[in-house]
Amino acid sequence: MTDTETKHNKLGSILIQKEAIASIARQSTLQSYGVVGLAPKNMIERVRQLLIKDAKFGVDVEFDHEGLLIDLYIVVEYGTRIISITNSIVNSVKYNVEKTVGLPVRRINVHVRGLRISDMD
Amino acid sequence: MSTAELTKLSPEERHKLVSVPVNGWGLKTLLEAGMIWLKTNQQVVNRLNVFPVPDGDTGTNMLLTMQAAFDEVENSGTENIGQLAHAVARGALMGARGNSGVILSQIWRGFARALDKEETMDVKLLSEALTEAKETAYKGVVRPVEGTILTVINDIAAQAEVSTQRTSVFTEVLADIVEAAEASVERTPELLPILKQAGVVDSGGKGLLCIFEGMWRFLNGDPLDKTVNEVMPLSEMDLEDAMETIEPGQDYEVVIDFSPDPTFNLEKYYEELTKIGTSIQVGEGDGMYRMHIHVPLDSRYQPIDHTMTLGTIQKVMMENLVAQMNNKGTVKSPKINLTQVKPGEVAVVAVSPGPGLSRIFASLGVAAIVQGGQSMNPSIKELLASFENLPTDKIIILPNNRNIIMAAKEAASMTVKQVAVIPTISVPQGLSALFRLIPDADFDDNVSSMIEAMDEVETGEITTATRSVEIDDVQVEKGEVIALHNGKLVTSTHSIDEACEELLIAANTNEYERITLFYGEDMPQSQVNQLSDKIRTIYPDHEIEVHEGGQPHYELIIAIE
Repeated sequence: MTDTETKHNKLGSILIQKEAIASIARQSTLQSYGVVGLAPKNMIERVRQLLIKDAKFGVDVEFDHEGLLIDLYIVVEYGTRIISITNSIVNSVKYNVEKTVGLPVRRINVHVRGLRISDMD
Repeated sequence: MSTAELTKLSPEERHKLVSVPVNGWGLKTLLEAGMIWLKTNQQVVNRLNVFPVPDGDTGTNMLLTMQAAFDEVENSGTENIGQLAHAVARGALMGARGNSGVILSQIWRGFARALDKEETMDVKLLSEALTEAKETAYKGVVRPVEGTILTVINDIAAQAEVSTQRTSVFTEVLADIVEAAEASVERTPELLPILKQAGVVDSGGKGLLCIFEGMWRFLNGDPLDKTVNEVMPLSEMDLEDAMETIEPGQDYEVVIDFSPDPTFNLEKYYEELTKIGTSIQVGEGDGMYRMHIHVPLDSRYQPIDHTMTLGTIQKVMMENLVAQMNNKGTVKSPKINLTQVKPGEVAVVAVSPGPGLSRIFASLGVAAIVQGGQSMNPSIKELLASFENLPTDKIIILPNNRNIIMAAKEAASMTVKQVAVIPTISVPQGLSALFRLIPDADFDDNVSSMIEAMDEVETGEITTATRSVEIDDVQVEKGEVIALHNGKLVTSTHSIDEACEELLIAANTNEYERITLFYGEDMPQSQVNQLSDKIRTIYPDHEIEVHEGGQPHYELIIAIE
């Protein structure tokens, strides 16, 4: 598994870094309704995020020969229907990544890492 | 109360149901009115879709969310508005469908919170509740996108605040809110470029407008069960069905194509039309409107006169429905039933030059059809539009004409979907390829098998020469019948029969088993039948089939396989 995905055209190759795809997925996730933030994937990332801003924070991108595999770690607003929100995220991330990068997205996993409670009912 | 009951009430009865200050029962009735009006406009909202993703059913999603909210309170007898609003919010949350449904549930959640310990709601409280609704809605997202339902609830809340300072009359505030929501929806394309590109307003915003508009219409005594200004794309106008519902006294069907003046007001136009006739439909496309109406005999010119004052008429079609009903069945052609593809399946888009051929393509499993052929090439946009909204991303295009292959390839390069263009240069090639389709099989296998099949058929075409010319060593005089074999000119003669016979010889018909004739729009069926009899005597061992193709220019398209 490499850090870049390659597309070829007549004159040469186009190399797309994982970070680039992660940024798109991240923007698209944060614009999705119900998402109030991204969450660290693990302890190491939690610590690292304190030191440097990382485009891949809360997002994991892998490639295989069939397409992209994206994992999203999110925090959702309390009091919303999580299943609807996650479905929308999957749709819009797939759409935005495929449209801008031109590589097929094979799988998107959404990990709901927590809920933010702004108001109790 | 059922939909029918609610809409039948007189204005006085309506106001009795929703007394001010509004209590739990009143809010329940208002919500129901909003829901009914949303249901009536469901398809209008659905059509405002811009993303080719499965989230393209905003109207339905919002309606199902409202329905879930309403189900929660339908049988509740609580007079307490706070309790009722909380139940609504809970129902909306549990039943929230799609993005707009989730936002809608948040709106009701905030709305309910503001009414928490209240018994009834006056305008002041309404304004507070809407502000709370807006705030809750905005809390649900880190980066709110403007030009969406969020903008609309924001504008609604702002207007409510302004209005309550001016007046304390509930209906006046509600009217202001609806007006503000309408303006807000109209403004969404300015805020969100993707809407502008697609030439639509935001669907979620429109859905929210419908809910408030429904409440207002209810109190205003307006009907809730039929849309006033439903405009559909021209391609979706179902004039065939409109003909089924012929009412006594409405003898004439008038269809007018016109381009409206800048001042054209659709709602007023509808209003005028309802005074003249029934079965009114208005479609829109390419800056042009198409109006359809049924009118009594003596007012059959009225729609034309009226439309003329509002724009430039391009075309008028008038038919006597009574006469048409009498020979119905002989004139009417059956509807085209396209195959519904499932996500992940391979979908085929075929370019078809005639209605008969479209039906044949559809019966063989085509998921979308684009009209086009010789001298009427479809645009790249049309091709793209045909498959962008299909629920699968594996698309195969059959251009069925040499001149369309390029456009099809261009369309294929403009989408994120996986698209293969099978370079079929004729209808028989397209049909032959289509026979190999296995929708749930591998995409590449389908493509290679179709390309293989494409060349297993000989194509014959019979048409009339439009000018005198010499091609492929054949001298052609204008007006003569010419025959083409796989696109190559074979002969030029005086009769279709003769051209056909020579064509079959050139195509080595003896080597094949089956001859299929697709006759064009200018070719009478009786003549085709005579011709097929003649062919049968020459090729007695062959299977001969005759189908209506309906294509222009070509009297016959022949498949030999």
